[in-house]
Amino acid sequence: MSTNSILLMKDIDKYFFGKAANDKVSLEVKPGEIHALLGENGAGKTTLMNILYGIYQRDGGRITWKGEEIHFDSPREAIDNRIGMVHQHFMLVPTLTVSQNITLGLKSEGHPFPNRRSIDEKIRELLSAYDVHISPTDKVSSLSVGGEQWVEIIKLLYRNAELLILDEPTAVLTPQETKRLFKVLEKLRQEGHSVIIITHRIPEVLEITDRVTILRDGRNVATVHTSETGSVELSHYMIGRELKTISRTPNTVCPHEEGLGLDELAVEENGRNVLGPLSLSVRKGEMIGIAGVDGNGQKYLAEAVLGVRDCSAGKVRLLGGDASSASIQQRKDMGLGYIAEDRQNDALIMDMDMRENVLLRMYSKREYVKSGFIKYANVDETAKEMIDTYNIKTAGIGKPVRYLSGGNQQKLILARELAGSPPVIIAFHPTRGLDIGATEFVRQKLLERRASGSSILLISADLDEIFALSDRIAVLFHGKIMAVLENDGNVDVNYLGRLMAGEAAESGSDSRRVE
Amino acid sequence: MERLKTALSYILIVVIILSLAVVLILSVGSDVPKSFMSFFRGIFGSLYGFSEVLVRATPLILAGLGVSIGFRTGFINIGAEGQIYWGAIAVTTTAYLFPGLPALIAIPLGIVAGFVAGGIWALIPGYLKARFGISEVINTIMFNYIAINILGILVRTVLKDPEYPLPMSSKLPNGFIFPLLMYPTRLHLGFLIALIAMVLVYVLMWKSSPGYKLRVVGLNQRASLCSGIPVKKYIVFSSLLSGGFAGIAGVGEIAGIHYKLLEGFSPGFGYVAIIVALLGKNNPFGVAAAGLGIAALQVGSLSMQRQAGVPASISWIIMGSIVLLILARSTLLTFFAEKEKEKKV
Repeated sequence: MSTNSILLMKDIDKYFFGKAANDKVSLEVKPGEIHALLGENGAGKTTLMNILYGIYQRDGGRITWKGEEIHFDSPREAIDNRIGMVHQHFMLVPTLTVSQNITLGLKSEGHPFPNRRSIDEKIRELLSAYDVHISPTDKVSSLSVGGEQWVEIIKLLYRNAELLILDEPTAVLTPQETKRLFKVLEKLRQEGHSVIIITHRIPEVLEITDRVTILRDGRNVATVHTSETGSVELSHYMIGRELKTISRTPNTVCPHEEGLGLDELAVEENGRNVLGPLSLSVRKGEMIGIAGVDGNGQKYLAEAVLGVRDCSAGKVRLLGGDASSASIQQRKDMGLGYIAEDRQNDALIMDMDMRENVLLRMYSKREYVKSGFIKYANVDETAKEMIDTYNIKTAGIGKPVRYLSGGNQQKLILARELAGSPPVIIAFHPTRGLDIGATEFVRQKLLERRASGSSILLISADLDEIFALSDRIAVLFHGKIMAVLENDGNVDVNYLGRLMAGEAAESGSDSRRVE
Repeated sequence: MERLKTALSYILIVVIILSLAVVLILSVGSDVPKSFMSFFRGIFGSLYGFSEVLVRATPLILAGLGVSIGFRTGFINIGAEGQIYWGAIAVTTTAYLFPGLPALIAIPLGIVAGFVAGGIWALIPGYLKARFGISEVINTIMFNYIAINILGILVRTVLKDPEYPLPMSSKLPNGFIFPLLMYPTRLHLGFLIALIAMVLVYVLMWKSSPGYKLRVVGLNQRASLCSGIPVKKYIVFSSLLSGGFAGIAGVGEIAGIHYKLLEGFSPGFGYVAIIVALLGKNNPFGVAAAGLGIAALQVGSLSMQRQAGVPASISWIIMGSIVLLILARSTLLTFFAEKEKEKKV
């Protein structure tokens, strides 16, 4: 078996601070194969690939590449050996052109005065060969996130990579862009390239890959042929049990009363319109999902509702009252819960302990602060209740929250922001970076709040999440709402994808839009 | 294991400092045992020596507390020296304006005046930072020069003692003068005030809601903002507190030691206060300990100079080295820990 493999990683060990991130992990990739590395967040997928790519040094095990045992000290050596990796966070220089980014670090012909025009020509050929509609002379800053990913991939192909490693490549793509990516991967396979895709999305594994290696808790679980498995078996491998499907019940609470209202809301930054004007009304007991590719104004929307950012025009209504000029504190006191997108920067004080982080939302309440003095006994009690009800795994309420796992940090935020049953909730990427168990938990809690009458604005890049949870879906593109769709189970993903890509809603091809 | 390493690293620091002291003493040709003896005799050998440690520690603790509040909130106050000067100006001016007040009113009034004056002097850079994002580091340093020279002008003009040729004010009225705690030593009320301030700062920062918000702002401004804390207000508030405590240090020096306003009454207390805050890890009790330690170092080396002929300057060399070693300690520890791990692999 191993004789015809192009890459063989055997018994790889890697420890961080004495904890095993990889524990005797093995991986075998054959020439001309698309191989999925499947697992939850923290399963050790990216660590394993970073070891292969020379970013981390392994603590044990062997790597054989094309029959030779190898050891890369840096990514440069990996690239020289024709292994390339596209990271989840792209490594591009936005002020340089596409072609400059692609040749960055290479000694092109004529170095140090390379013939840019002939290089551009070569790159143009490469781009058109893979049907990528980007010009080599475009500035990277002018590209969409999907476009940047193409640049990263073409960069590897320009360097003659035989093995391409893609880390969660579809996370930033619309459904259409994902299809195009898969087509290109198909073509790469035909040309004899090998591809490793790091992912936690089972449908994608089934759609595109030949074989799949599943990791859990830094260990190998199984390696199977994709054609011989299915989603049930894969999710079993991945999380050790079956996925619960989340079911939404119809909104029966107060379907006519409004919880959160946005009225011609607009935000400007440096004199430039970055959001709106947009209007939206979230009723009580309703969850509206904001779909859209990251960076299309989601952050401005969330911040304008919270009050961190001033709106240049329009109104924010909370429970029917105008909250446009209310301070953040007042909005929170009116009953606004905010699950921040960036846990570590926006929501938590990493170097403070649990109770002081709980206090961050409670300090204006008499129960916890009396005539300026903090009643730590009451705060402790509340924190302990939260630990119990939300099943937060902690070494103690006196330990800095820095030492909690991402999932437990998110549980803490949820416990804090949902305390006191806020009637309006903004959930901004509430499950980003969480493992499946924690994700299910967060979604369940949001649905519980919805069932008891909260108005929820769910901003998420995960379309599955939007579909599973929202009553209506609003599509955000360049700060404007393209359309609001009833999530009745018949929403066409392709149509949604076109809206997310900014193609006008009234382009006639969809029957649900009447002109 | 971790604890052992920490303890060992501190022992190592002590060893390095002691060897450095030995080298320095030998290099000036003095007798090592005699120098050490005189160092410790200077501190513990007499009631007077020991009281001098407390006297010297008083402004260091007060200003150090101020600086530490600023550091905790992210207001890097390098201007304690200028704020001390304003505290001194304020108590002198108050005394001039209300010379007849009884001590029971005059002393608290002087302290409040010093707090307000020092606080406002720090509040200006605090406001500039909060409102316009101008670096408080630069501004507070520059404000030191301004404050020092304003005092220079004042003691030559409006506050000058007309009966005396030198640039200094006349003696404070009796009501404003801090009582001595241990006659005939110079230990004065200021030391008690410093201890009370230490407890106050602890209660403020760790038991009260405003203090909690100050700490939150210092650790994560973005999260503070998202949680509804008016970050800018709290930065300004922290600058006021920070300068206020430094101002009280100035009051103590004038009302407790010199009894009149004069140039150069502070041999850089405001700068040493930064070191005190750093060594005390911005904890009020740590600040008090660090203030006492540095004061002892200075008093001891003065005695060493008198009795063993070792220049007192070496106390500054030692102080600089201690700060360097303690600040480098944690970094070096992790560095060596990683090295060790790499070796094992």
